[in-house]
Amino acid sequence: MKTVLFIIVVLISGAFAGLIHGTVNLVLVEPYLDVAIGIENNSLFATGLEKDTPEFWAAYDGYRTWQKSGQILAGVILGTSIGSLFGIVFALSRGSIPGNHDVKKSLILAGIMWFTLYLLPFLKYPANPPTVGNEETLVLRVALYVSFIILSGVGALAFYKLSKRFKRSIAILGYAIFIAALFVVMPDNPDEITAPASLVNEFRFVSVLGVTSFWVSVGLILGLFWSRLEPHKETAQYT
Amino acid sequence: MFKSEQVNISKTNIPKLAIIALAAVFAVGLFVVGFDQGHIFSLVYGEQAFTDLYIHELTHDMRHAAGFPCH
Repeated sequence: MKTVLFIIVVLISGAFAGLIHGTVNLVLVEPYLDVAIGIENNSLFATGLEKDTPEFWAAYDGYRTWQKSGQILAGVILGTSIGSLFGIVFALSRGSIPGNHDVKKSLILAGIMWFTLYLLPFLKYPANPPTVGNEETLVLRVALYVSFIILSGVGALAFYKLSKRFKRSIAILGYAIFIAALFVVMPDNPDEITAPASLVNEFRFVSVLGVTSFWVSVGLILGLFWSRLEPHKETAQYT
Repeated sequence: MFKSEQVNISKTNIPKLAIIALAAVFAVGLFVVGFDQGHIFSLVYGEQAFTDLYIHELTHDMRHAAGFPCH
């Protein structure tokens, strides 16, 4: 394998996909974040914790600009990060993934990782807009969310290994039972949702669209780079 | 008389160095965007970083949008 080329291809693919993710969020998700933070502000005024003054809005505009400008940068950082994991898994599993083209293989793997590492954890611990999260439960919520992702990912890997010994349908059924057990056993998000249901549901929908745009992009981009540049090949010449 | 012949062999071994480097990028990037609450800047600015929360605020919107727990 061409090591440097492999690393560069993986990092660039993740960064581009992250850029797309950040851009999609900027268009689709930001309006919902603004509405949710507006509710937070009204709550602060109603409880007397803040006053509706020009000074408040000047400070608010400052940090909201900072937060919005970070959407793209954070997308690139997160994309490079998740893309790195994706690149490692793709390189290790490429020979086992069905398909006769690297783009197809890459998209299949992206779909599997989107489902096991994102969608299933999301269904148990869905994204919430600002106003929903309680600061005092943050550590617990992080622990639950990360635990679910790890268990789902490790479970998928374990049942994939088992599928080599048993029928694939049995392994899939086993994974489904394992995930169902996780849904039952693991505690729910302890935070009460006080924001309007329509806001929360629509925010979750656009959130899924954003993350899905990342996984589709990273699968497509890495697959295209891989098929074009073939970093897995190292040609040794013997004469 | 020797006969010269060129043979091309494709190797698919994945270097451990590449895996370690990418794993490090994965871990650091995920922490920065998903979980930092001032920890990284606290290495330079001390306790003040946990109040300023520069990285938290910078990644705040992506944190919510990507489904990470936030307050």
